[in-house]
Amino acid sequence: MACGSTSLGNGEATWFCCGNAWGPCAAAGGGACGTCKSSALQAAWPNASKACWDITRPDLCGEKLPRRGCGSAIKVRHLCSGASVCVTVSDCGPRTRSFCGESSCCDGVCRSNRVIDLTPAAFSVIGSLSSGTLPVSLYE
Amino acid sequence: MSAHRMSDPLDRRRFLTAAALRGATVVGTGVIGATALGAVDADAVFAAPLRRPLDPAVPAGAFVEGRITSIDGGVLEVAGSHGDYARVRVTGATSVWKVRPTTAASIETGDGLYARGVPMPDGTVAADAVWVNIVNLHTTIRGIEKTRLHLAHGSHEIVGNLLPATSSASYSGAAPTADLSGLRIGQGAQVLGAWRPSDDSVDIVRVAVGPGAGHRR
Repeated sequence: MACGSTSLGNGEATWFCCGNAWGPCAAAGGGACGTCKSSALQAAWPNASKACWDITRPDLCGEKLPRRGCGSAIKVRHLCSGASVCVTVSDCGPRTRSFCGESSCCDGVCRSNRVIDLTPAAFSVIGSLSSGTLPVSLYE
Repeated sequence: MSAHRMSDPLDRRRFLTAAALRGATVVGTGVIGATALGAVDADAVFAAPLRRPLDPAVPAGAFVEGRITSIDGGVLEVAGSHGDYARVRVTGATSVWKVRPTTAASIETGDGLYARGVPMPDGTVAADAVWVNIVNLHTTIRGIEKTRLHLAHGSHEIVGNLLPATSSASYSGAAPTADLSGLRIGQGAQVLGAWRPSDDSVDIVRVAVGPGAGHRR
């Protein structure tokens, strides 16, 4: 897996659980790619497939996110701290269309629309799970 | 990365390592979040990413997920969800979240856990931050009562407990408010909260609802 420096856009990152897990996450399963684990550096991407796109519909929020299938590498960089993590696409999500216009801010700078869902392991590399969302830039 | 490291007023990784090696465990004393160098702001600590060290002698960060099977002094024995096993060391520099920033005294056997920290020579992970029972679920609101929400998460039903002075709602990305009257049955809702192992319900910290498809602000 290699992450590059070509911009894929920016927006909000959220987090989710997948794979074998405890509590309400116990039924999450391995995700659309069948390989998703909360403890791995992985992510859900809204355009992991045509079927995925039909569910997430980021275009309804003005987002043009390219098709990147299972195993694709994406670097997620916190907009303010500069902390970054390289993840592989392992599921479909987030459901961008349900939260059009939602923003996350840091140091007075905001980014809108949910563009990537990170596993807890990946999200915690660049921020706190208790924040729920983070403003990020994406690269490949 | 070097610029970040040089500008850090306190290198948490080195501090954690030192704290763990010196056996500075203070579980149950109620002083988690305070260090020998002064109080640590809980929000800032949780938000601070654990950066990769420049010094190759300092190992990269570790992440632990699973359920706590026992608590032995300052060490949490954790059974991972994929059959793995880990020991998480809680020190005076560890920040603990369980519904809210709290102390290690609130951690119980049976709790679910995510921990971020540093692998130690003795095989433990010295935790920088521990999130206990935290969940972040995409749900649909199926019912609304005064003290709880009924939520659908996939094919499962979840009871979400509304906590006075804690539960908040965020409407269409606006700042969280204690006014939950805008929630509606049928809405898609992102629920950040803490799972209760005793009854499988979730204590709701924040519920976020959006305007839905095609609505732009």
